[in-house]
Amino acid sequence: MMRARNSSELRLSQKFWQVNWPLVLLVIVIASIGFAMLYSAANGSFKPWASKQMTVFGVGLVMMLIIAVIDIRFWLRYAYVFYAFSVGLLVFVEFFGVVRNHAKRWIDLEIIQLQPSEFMKVTLVLVLARYFHRLNIEDIGRPHYLVVPLLLIAAPVLLVQRQPDLGTALFLVLCGGAMFFLAGVRIWKFVVVMTAAVVAVPVGWSFLLDYQKSRILTFLSPDRDPLGEGYHILQSKIALGSGGMFGRGFLKGTQSHLNFLPERQTDFIFTMLAEEFGLAGGLGLLGLYALVILYGFSIALRSQNQFGRLLAMGVIVLFFLYAFINIAMVMGLVPVVGLPLPLISFGGTAMITVLAGFGFLICASIHRDIRIGRHGDGS
Amino acid sequence: MILNPFKSIRQSHQQRAASHGRVRPCAPRAMDEKIQAALDVSYRRLLMTGAMLLFAFGAITVRLVDVSLMQAASEPRVTYAPRMQEMRMDRADIVDRNGTLLATNLSTASLFANPRKVMNPDDTARQLAMVLPELHEAEVARQLKSKRSFVWLRRNLTPRQQWRVISLGLPGIEFQSAETRVYPNGTLAAHIMGYVDIDNGGLAGVEGTFDTTLRDDAAPLQLTIDARLQHILRKELSRAKTEFSALGATGIILDARNGEVVAMTSLPDFDPNDGGNARPEQRFNRATLGVYELGSTFKIFTAAMALDYGIVTMRSGYDATKPIRISRFTIRDYHAKRRWLSVPEIFMYSSNIGAAKMAEDVGTEAQRSFLRRLGLLRPASIELPEVGAPMVPSPWRPINTMTISYGHGLAVSPLQLASGVAAMVNGGIVHKPTLIRGRAKSAPAGQRIISELTSREVRRLMRLVVEKGTGRKAAAEGFLVGGKTGTADKPKKGGYSRRALISSFVGAFPMTDPRYVVLATLDEPRGTKKTHGYATGGWVAAPIVRRVIERAAPLLGVQPIDENSPAVKKELHIDFKREGRQLASF
Repeated sequence: MMRARNSSELRLSQKFWQVNWPLVLLVIVIASIGFAMLYSAANGSFKPWASKQMTVFGVGLVMMLIIAVIDIRFWLRYAYVFYAFSVGLLVFVEFFGVVRNHAKRWIDLEIIQLQPSEFMKVTLVLVLARYFHRLNIEDIGRPHYLVVPLLLIAAPVLLVQRQPDLGTALFLVLCGGAMFFLAGVRIWKFVVVMTAAVVAVPVGWSFLLDYQKSRILTFLSPDRDPLGEGYHILQSKIALGSGGMFGRGFLKGTQSHLNFLPERQTDFIFTMLAEEFGLAGGLGLLGLYALVILYGFSIALRSQNQFGRLLAMGVIVLFFLYAFINIAMVMGLVPVVGLPLPLISFGGTAMITVLAGFGFLICASIHRDIRIGRHGDGS
Repeated sequence: MILNPFKSIRQSHQQRAASHGRVRPCAPRAMDEKIQAALDVSYRRLLMTGAMLLFAFGAITVRLVDVSLMQAASEPRVTYAPRMQEMRMDRADIVDRNGTLLATNLSTASLFANPRKVMNPDDTARQLAMVLPELHEAEVARQLKSKRSFVWLRRNLTPRQQWRVISLGLPGIEFQSAETRVYPNGTLAAHIMGYVDIDNGGLAGVEGTFDTTLRDDAAPLQLTIDARLQHILRKELSRAKTEFSALGATGIILDARNGEVVAMTSLPDFDPNDGGNARPEQRFNRATLGVYELGSTFKIFTAAMALDYGIVTMRSGYDATKPIRISRFTIRDYHAKRRWLSVPEIFMYSSNIGAAKMAEDVGTEAQRSFLRRLGLLRPASIELPEVGAPMVPSPWRPINTMTISYGHGLAVSPLQLASGVAAMVNGGIVHKPTLIRGRAKSAPAGQRIISELTSREVRRLMRLVVEKGTGRKAAAEGFLVGGKTGTADKPKKGGYSRRALISSFVGAFPMTDPRYVVLATLDEPRGTKKTHGYATGGWVAAPIVRRVIERAAPLLGVQPIDENSPAVKKELHIDFKREGRQLASF
């Protein structure tokens, strides 16, 4: 009855055996595809992107394992602290951030530059899991219990929107909404909120910045400005089409290597992959992502405590949103938002964020059988 | 295992929950149930969320297949059609009566830019200005920086220029193939052809009149003019205009039998290939738009109406010993004979006094009716937009009747004069002048205005002028030219100028059976040493007609005739006997 025992009493070595190594392997495989693509994006060179990315990944992987083996009740207990810290970083950005591409999103730490809004994503999942864990099913039915989590979402959303970064703000809203849904908030409430959102669209439109408006217009009609706003998406589609069934071969993508495809090392890396490895390569990556999601889903299902389950599923939703929005964007299904392809796109903060998320996921898996009281005691 | 983690999860989960209950009996049961309920709800929500994720993943998979395989990769297409509907493509050709090309189209490439696609306006402008030196670099750069998506840079490049621009490989610089209207003969028939605007829309001449037809109809438009005769007429007029330093010149060759305009020129003229840049005085068509008091040439009509109405005969005459004074005017003769003159003499010496008295006898109403039937009181009927309205006196007083008899007080266009003269010599039928081949045939038969007999008498009178009178310089040997000179003082403010003249000669040939009417008019000619300072119609305009006829008659298929043959002599004989007695003074 190993399982029946409280696994908090597992020794560290035992926990390591409990780590879902197949999931870790999947993550490494996907990240390796990313390295290959960054190598190709630099026209067959580890510099400047692939080598840096590998370093970050190494650090992130260690961090992921550390997060995984730490007792889940520790995370539960300090969830609000992490949240406060992340919000603090966002406030810091508000005052001392570095402006890049007309948006103030980065904190410059000399050696590395951080994008606190990325960290905020996983922290938001953590804090909402923490909050909803405390509530029983009747509590969730009472509207006033939803005020606090709404505020928990609103604070970072407003700060991120001020940067301005509409994409991340919406991303946070979606994440938060998913957490509400998973926690069992009545479906009619979602219907009401979504209806209100649709009604508010015309009002909200006037609050959008010009570049945000034009991105949405461009999404609706990329031909509107083929050389300006619509350029990314049209070139992306051309590249996808040029890949065909099996692609043009590694290092041979014309659209990407001839610099037609912008941001090929970051947001549009999927396009490059699809051009060089074709439909087969694109579907292959989608398959790997699907495996990760299914694995995370199974972890969420097996979790015996509400916190672990919400945390695991929240991370999966987060990961899914990253992948889905990015891929849908490069294929012109959603407007262009600056969102990386998880584990593949160049970018340290997003990599760390995703790996931290997987750390929580594995943590929830290792500690799946622990029963946790409403306030984080061992019950 | 990882692929199928869901099998009987719920079951194991429930078992596990149950086992927990057993293992830890101290835990409150109610608490367990609440947790259980929460877990159940979240379990359902998990599955729903999973289903949504699956659906979303399915959607992007489908989309990925779609964009990779189904959609043909293409560059962004141009979604605007730059002024396509205004491009006049395939405008019909215009040819002369022999099929010679007068107007056609050339395919050319026109250079335009889509500033929104231009990467570097300044550099692009610099490179373009290098291969097309006529472009102004700063101006092009300014155009390329505009927010528009279409700016013309230069129309109608030559193939070499186009090749040079292509070689630059500049993005956003494109070509629009267009048709350019080309007039291979340049100025030859400028006023007849007219010209087109930058989008090939007809603006003047037959291009303007037949704009719609030329656009809709692929068949060439055939004119009545003959490029060869047009060339001769223009050349001779141009020479005379230079020789006599005239302001302008007009010439018409008209088929007397059906009203077809065989040649028509107005100088100064312009190159229709660049019609838009012509000066207003170049564009002005003196032959149809200009109306002038054409002077003594009108005596042809005066004599004809008097003869036809039976007011006079070839043998009657009038006393021309002294000028006529009527109110504040004085009518006098240039070549005053100061004696009684027979009708042929009045005509031959171009006596204003005689003509005025003749018209007085005809009467105001009869004169007006005659001129109206001849078409001189309303704008000429011709297929050109540029038609001038005659200046008709109103009211038409007896004094007007008298001055009009010798061509003052009524201003008509030269074409109207030529057309009227044609009716006088062709047997008495008025044909509407036309520029379009085939129209004359389908037109209704012309109106008779004078009798055949009168017409023959008019021919004799006109022949007499060339043989013995003021028009001797028009005598083209062998072609039996007849005609009438006209020298009119140009009107100026409050009266007439003595120095500024409109000098004309209107002739027809051969006088035995006239085929063509030829008119030449010079505006303000200056006499030369050769003309002893004279700038009258007989001195400056008659020679033009002679030279034109000498060169044109062979092309028109008119055979030279022996002018002294008895048949001709008889046909054109004038008996100078005064009614009842011989001309004693001769």
